[in-house]
This record gives sequence, C-alpha cells and structure tokens, in this order.
Amino acid sequence: MAEVVLRRLLATVPVLLLVTAGVFALLHLTPGDPVDAMMAESADASTKESLRRELGLDRPIAVQYAAWMGRLLRGDLGRSIRNGEPVLENVSRRIRPSLQLALLAMAIALTIAFPVAIASAVRHNTGVDRLGTTFALFGICMPNFLLALLLIFVFGVTLRWLPISGYLDPLEEGWSGLRSLILPAVTLGLALAAVITRTLRSSLLEVLAEDYVRTARAKGLSEWVVIRGHVLKNALIPVVTVLGLQLGTLIGGAVITEYVFALPGVGRLVVDAVFARDYPLVQGVILLIALGFIVSNLLVDLLYGYIDPRIRLR
Amino acid sequence: MDTSTRAFVFAEPAPAGSDRRWGALRRAARARLAPFGAAVLLAAIVVALAAPLLSPYDPLAQDLGNVLARPGRVHWLGTDNVGRDVLSRVIWGTRVSLVAGFVSVAIAAAAGGVLGMLAGYAGGRADGVVMRLMDAVLSLPPLVLALALGAVLGAGLTGVLLALGVVYTPAFARLMRGQVLSVKTRDYVEAARALGASGWWIARRHVLPNAATPIVVQASLSVAFAILAEASLSFLGLGIQPPAASWGSMINAGRGYLQQAPWIVFGPGAALFVTVVGLNFVGDAIRDGLDPRLRG
Repeated sequence: MAEVVLRRLLATVPVLLLVTAGVFALLHLTPGDPVDAMMAESADASTKESLRRELGLDRPIAVQYAAWMGRLLRGDLGRSIRNGEPVLENVSRRIRPSLQLALLAMAIALTIAFPVAIASAVRHNTGVDRLGTTFALFGICMPNFLLALLLIFVFGVTLRWLPISGYLDPLEEGWSGLRSLILPAVTLGLALAAVITRTLRSSLLEVLAEDYVRTARAKGLSEWVVIRGHVLKNALIPVVTVLGLQLGTLIGGAVITEYVFALPGVGRLVVDAVFARDYPLVQGVILLIALGFIVSNLLVDLLYGYIDPRIRLR
Repeated sequence: MDTSTRAFVFAEPAPAGSDRRWGALRRAARARLAPFGAAVLLAAIVVALAAPLLSPYDPLAQDLGNVLARPGRVHWLGTDNVGRDVLSRVIWGTRVSLVAGFVSVAIAAAAGGVLGMLAGYAGGRADGVVMRLMDAVLSLPPLVLALALGAVLGAGLTGVLLALGVVYTPAFARLMRGQVLSVKTRDYVEAARALGASGWWIARRHVLPNAATPIVVQASLSVAFAILAEASLSFLGLGIQPPAASWGSMINAGRGYLQQAPWIVFGPGAALFVTVVGLNFVGDAIRDGLDPRLRG
C-alpha cells in the first residue's frame, strides 16, 4: 500500500510543476502591463514602480519564476495587493464557511441520492424509476445559479422561511448559523445528488443482475438484506470515482453558490480577486485549490483500495 | 505507392457506407427523448439565426416609462429594470449561448485532436509532456480555471470562448490519443507503413476516420455543458458585457429584482434550462446512435 501511495505521489510531481508554471504564467498572459491592469489609472508612477519591483517584474522571466518557486517552497504564496495580507491568511480566514458548505452539501447529496437510486434500481422501469431518473436529469441540467435564485424566490422571498444571504458560523451561532447555510447547501447538494443518483442507479442495476444476487434471493433473504449485504458495497466503486470527479464541480459550484448567497468563502474570494485584478491573490488561491483538488483525487484513488481489495492487490 | 496497392491496403478499414450511417441515424432517432431534443436544438438554431426577424423589440432599447412591466400581451415576458423587452433579449441571447457552446467545443476538439494525435503518434517524451500538460489542466476545477483565464484574457465573448476551449481540450486530447494508440498497432496501418505511406497520410486516412466517432460523441455531450459554463461566466460578469444580451448576464441583472419582477430571471432561466435539457437528449441520442457500447 505504501508503495502505491508513493508511486501516486511521485506521479503528481510533474503535474504540480506544470500547474505552478501555468499559475505563474497567468500574470504574464495579461494583455498589456499587469501592473497597469492591477492599479487604477490614477495611481502615480512611483507606486506602480514599487509594485513592479515587489512583484519582480523588472527582472528576467526565468529569474522571476525561480524566485517565485523559491518563495512557494518556503510556504510564501505572496500577498494580496488589496489588503496587503499574505494569501495564506486570506484563505485561512475564508476556508471555514467553504468547508462547512461543502460538507453540508455532500451530506444532503448522499441523503437524497442513496434512497432515490436504490428505489429507482429496485423498482426498475416503473413510475418510481422514472421519477428518479427525471430528478437526476433535472439536477444535471439545472444551472447552480438558477437553482439558487429559484430557492431564494420560493423559500426566502415568498415563504420567508430561510435567510437569502449572509453567513453565521453554525459552530458559534448554532441553529441560526445552520439556517444561513441551508439554501446554499441545498443548491450545491442537489446537483451533486443528481450525478450520484444517476451513477449509483446504473451501477446497482448492473450488480442486481449478477448471479450471486440471484443466489442470495434464492436462499430466501429479504430484498433489503440482499441490497445491504450483497449489492451496495459492490455498486460503490463507480460512485467513488464520480465523487472524485465531482470535487471539481463541487468547488466550481461553490464559487457560484458563495457568490449568489454572499458567503465569505474561498469561492467568493476567487471571484472578488478576479474582479479586483488582484493577480497575486488569484495565483495563490488557484494554486491552493489545485493542490487541494490533486490531494483529494489522490485520496479517492486510495479509497478504491479500501472498498475493493482486488484493486489493492493489483 | 501505386494506386492499386493503395486501394488494396486502404480498402479494408474504409468505414462508413450509407447503410451504416442510416443505421446510426435510426438508432439515434429511436432514443425516446431524441425528438424533443432535436426540436429544441432546431428551434434554438432558427431563433438564433432569425433573431432580428423574430425579436418584437430592439433588445437594447430602454423604455424608462415602462420598467418592470408584468408579462402581458404587449411584452410577452415582461420588461426589465430599464424597460427593455425580456423576450427580445432572450431571443438575442440564444445567439450568444449557441455560439459559445459550439465554438468553444470546436476549439477544444481541434486543439485536443491535434495534441492527442501528436502525443499518440510521437510517443515517448512528446507524449509524456502533452499528457502531463493535460493532467495539469484537469487538476484545476473547470469553472475556476475558466474564471482565471477569463480574468487574464479579459471579459467578453472571445475570452470566454478561449477559456472554455482550454478547459475542454484535455477530454478530446485523451480520446484522440487513445484512438491513435489503438489504431497505430492495427495490421492495415503496419501494412501502409511498410508500403511507404507517410505518417501524415496514415493519420488522415486511418486515424482520423476511426477517431471521428468518439470525438463527435464527446463533442455532442460537451456542447450543453459549454452553454452552461458560458452562462455561469456571464452570470459572474466575465462573459458578454452589458448592455448586450446573454442569458447568464440577464439572470444576474435580474436577481436584484426577484421580489418585484421574477420574470427577468425566469425568462432567460427557462430558455437556458430547456436548451440544456434538449442538447443533453441530442447528445445522448448521438452517443446511442454512433456507439452503442458507450451507452450509460
């Protein structure tokens, strides 16, 4: 197992190097002078010059990259131009709402997807199945921002049951904090639920047709025992794959969801940094997101081995 | 290589007879929801092409005496916060969405096709570099990457098209590389090479026709998601800039008036949702028609 982890870690090194090169290049892809793009036209020449020096833009590009990488390896991701704070501090202040949102969304997605997919697969080709597949299609085709506005319209504006924007920390404010996260988490969770439902349903249908399931039924086991004991774990592999692939969608969805519901998370930080043309912050946050994404995918790969011992042995 | 040898060597893999094409079309049409999808796509194309004829008002014309008007006989989908006709803007927005969907996927298919072909054909170090580059692109969440690229390329349709083109390129490159690797080892390719056919000739004659099916399937499934992605970027303010109409930016502009005038959001929202559902059905039908093995 340790060898597998090591091999996978080594394989991520060139990818990480290319990601850093790409993120570094972001600043230099800007049409015109990046400092002009970042600062208002009114900023005086000496301020611009000092920023240019601070970013090292007056040096050759290879030297700039080497210096930037050197700082990265020391854990220095640069400073935001807007508030002058290190990128890591900016992100660590924003990570809590994002993690809470992602966890709640994932919990909602799994709570919806498992019963719907199981009901659809067990009642294959019936009204229940059609309802399940329609739900999955709806969730996949519905843009996040539209669903968010629909939920705000129904539960916030019309029924006035839930707050439509803002954030209170559930760990400090309890129920009112949780209430502030319900609509964003449902927005993000429904899309994820749709994808998991679709995958789990087709995976369940495949496993349900296996001989050992017929044998289990022939032994007189109840349908629930057959599903729980024989079908579910075997049907999980594609779901784990999809969960890994959906992490990107989850992060992307979080960008939109945090923007619509004014949640002060990392996604919102990306949008704000992009619009403020705060390129050092954009670079830092994107690099951290890529790192998080690569590590999560690595964990998903390792999870396969836990779910299916045959993969561990390969 | 003389003509007769060429005909012999290359007759074997010649793929598509009209029978096979009709078979694919018949299978595609049999997909239950394909007619609905095809009707939506056709309607969207007609609306996009005939926007100047179909649009009842100028999509940019403001009527400050008639702001936030409810949907009715004069304005079927109501008016927005500066009195512009929502239906006319939805109609013109169809153009942006379709262009974004088809052009960004075309860019990705072309770039991914070339890179995949290069990687698969050259092998060795070139393969390693190209595929690690694709892995690097895939290691960023698509929307975040598109946002970052949109930020440096500048707001506007061109920036969005290029950004989405980059985001979707790895899928096509991987597909093409896989096809090249599989076709490269076939006997007829060996024979062609032995007879002196150039790499380019083999690529054009054997690899491209064989790779066309999965590329078309991938492209048809990607268009709907590219339309969604363009709408998301426009919603965030990076796509088409106001006052020009795009569904995403209209929805963003309307969200401040959700209580008084929900039609500003739900008009373009419904157009976006129906188009994406329709294109998904078309994509599924094309997949089922061209390659039944890929059926999900």
